Amino acid sequence: MIESEFAQAAIKLVLLALVSLLIPASYRVIVGKTLPDRLQAVDLITTLLIGIIVMLALVEGTQVFVDMAIALAAFAFVGTISIARYISEGRGF
Amino acid sequence: MLLELLGVIALFFGLFFCGVGVLGVIRMPDALTRLHASGKVATLGLFGLLVGAALLMPAASLRILALGLFVLLTSPVATHAIAASVYRRQEILEELFEMRAEQVAMTITDVSGILSRSRIQDIIEAQQRSHRPSEGEPSAKDT
Repeated sequence: MIESEFAQAAIKLVLLALVSLLIPASYRVIVGKTLPDRLQAVDLITTLLIGIIVMLALVEGTQVFVDMAIALAAFAFVGTISIARYISEGRGF
Repeated sequence: MLLELLGVIALFFGLFFCGVGVLGVIRMPDALTRLHASGKVATLGLFGLLVGAALLMPAASLRILALGLFVLLTSPVATHAIAASVYRRQEILEELFEMRAEQVAMTITDVSGILSRSRIQDIIEAQQRSHRPSEGEPSAKDT
């Protein structure tokens, strides 16, 4: 847990800004014309979610959230690679 | 206190690049330029946020830096795979538009969805099969 008032307020501000950045990123998922556009926007949303989870770990002061972020990063990598291969070659693995 | 100040500066550095990347993803005209913008979010933006978090919470700094190293290794690979799929898809579309006009009109409904390579091979083989018999029959009669 972070004691100082200043750092706590800054962390909450950054968390709020990151959550509000999810809305324009999901605009590209809904509107995006082609399949690679949507895949790339989903990848961007996952990156933002990793940042949000780490900010949540700072707010709560617990380390468990960082492990969750590591697992999310690993699964997002596998998913993005397999869908990109599916678009370019017609099969996943 | 100095550590917290440095951490907050790193957090806002990362937040700036996240905002710029999302702005680029919704405003850029092309798929490849949008990829260029979203690559910055994964490397500069998220890594800035993680460095700030490691400075603010020194107890978990080892785990956070391990996560940062993992993201720094994997996200360019994922971006490269998406870029390769965009390029391959454009190649597939160019192959399509070199074919006859009515077949393009027939398959244009598929263009908005997924176009797998095997499906295009099937279309090309079907086209060749429809052309071959007129050329192949005389030679078959000669033998």
